[in-house]
Amino acid sequence: MAQQNMAQEQMRPVPVPTRTSTPFWDAAKRGKFLLQYDPAAKKYQFFPRPVSIYSGSDKLEWREASGRGVLVARTNVQVPHRGFEKLVPFVLAAVNLEEGVRVVARLIGVPYDQAKHGMKVRICWEELSDGARMFAFEPDR
Amino acid sequence: MASNFLSSKDIVIIAYGEVKNELRSGKTATELTADVMVQLLAKTGLTNREIDGFALTLPLSETGFAWYSNVLVDNLGIQARWLQITDIGGCSILGNIARAAAALKCGMIEFAFCIHADAPSRPHVAEYFNYRSEFQEPTGFQGPLIAFGLLTDAYDQKYGLKPEALGRLAVAQRNGAVANENALDKLRKPITVDDYLNSRMVSEPMRLLDCVMRCDGANGVVVTTLERARAMGVKKMVRLASYSEITNFDPANSTPDAFETGFQVVGPDALNKAGLSPRDVDMFHPYDDFLIALLLKLEQIGFCKRGEGSDFVLSTDFSPTGDLPINTGGGQISAGQAGLAGGGTNVVEAVRQLMGEAGSRQVPNVKNALVTGIGVVTYFRNWGSSVAMVMEA
Repeated sequence: MAQQNMAQEQMRPVPVPTRTSTPFWDAAKRGKFLLQYDPAAKKYQFFPRPVSIYSGSDKLEWREASGRGVLVARTNVQVPHRGFEKLVPFVLAAVNLEEGVRVVARLIGVPYDQAKHGMKVRICWEELSDGARMFAFEPDR
Repeated sequence: MASNFLSSKDIVIIAYGEVKNELRSGKTATELTADVMVQLLAKTGLTNREIDGFALTLPLSETGFAWYSNVLVDNLGIQARWLQITDIGGCSILGNIARAAAALKCGMIEFAFCIHADAPSRPHVAEYFNYRSEFQEPTGFQGPLIAFGLLTDAYDQKYGLKPEALGRLAVAQRNGAVANENALDKLRKPITVDDYLNSRMVSEPMRLLDCVMRCDGANGVVVTTLERARAMGVKKMVRLASYSEITNFDPANSTPDAFETGFQVVGPDALNKAGLSPRDVDMFHPYDDFLIALLLKLEQIGFCKRGEGSDFVLSTDFSPTGDLPINTGGGQISAGQAGLAGGGTNVVEAVRQLMGEAGSRQVPNVKNALVTGIGVVTYFRNWGSSVAMVMEA
């Protein structure tokens, strides 16, 4: 039974990169948060896609983001999902980055009642299994 | 905007079927589909050999393989000349009826059986891909519970949410479930606004009683032409008056306002095409996965102004004899959500009411219904698909 519990705890899902997203996850390993940039539209997009949502062009560049943004919504997650059993309750935040994209991820180090709309946050990284890293947010003080 | 392909009102629903929602039916989605087909054949006097059009949704419990629709019609003894799977989540049922109407108007088929079933008590074989498995779930952003928790929070921040308004909607729909013998037995107990307010937080500020409960279930309708229905001597029928659908609203916006949704397009569009304004709507059967969705739709379709949803709800009687009867059979939140067939609960209730067969919860003198769907959780925009249909007695 203990073994089974351990197996369940290790099941936090790990992203499986595609041709489109591989540059993102390679940079993540080095602690860099990349965004796709459409030079024709002069706009960023997130999550990574095979073409620009603005122009339909496949001429996309990868640019490192500032990682800074503002919290626009948050929820206190109290129902454990697969792989997150030991983490509940945790705060999940929707953040608008300076580059004009929205990213949703965990907000670490701030309890729910102190996670205020408009607060400044920045990207940080959580270590997953097999050297994978997942983006999260922390206060930008 | 495209013209109303249903304006001649010559496409009709001639029968509805529904099995009781159960937490554990002991049946597969295929078996539940068969139960509904048998009901529909009994009501119409047709045999399975006369069915030439068939539409379905993808059951979470059976569609780990890509040939489900073929295997299903083989099980049912149906030779299909038009076979349709619609996969726009909770919009799929109305989507199927609209696609069936188009196929009927084109003369491809004579009857469309649109049957939707799911059995979430069985192993969940559907898998998520793309951004959901790669950029969403590994962060902890897993599914609708969290997406609607964020939406509830964002609404409260922007407009101020009065939780007792959501409680009032919860009570109205629960009263419907108490009167609906096909609702989940577990939910057929009256609740109060205080019960709602005191229910535990699941994705704070969203409560347990904001949410649907998944269950096994199935439902369906038979769609045909008015001409054929008359030739068959059908006495009771429901006419399709208008339909509007949109998926991926405002796609080239990377920081969208979560309260600008497809409903501000499809709600007014469907009403305009049917020649109605919101105050002409006799009853409202909105797709309900979470209570906040009802509030957003009331605003975006135009029943009240943006941000005034709470006050509108608190001053409106939603009972079957009230100002705006809403999900009179309990909706999914109080009757149970039959997996990806869940939206059919609301559709079938609208048809049942328009045929005058809703018993103790019958809306008096009802002439029309506005029915909606919401489909697919997105990467925190709002949701993927929005549809609206007007039906008439």
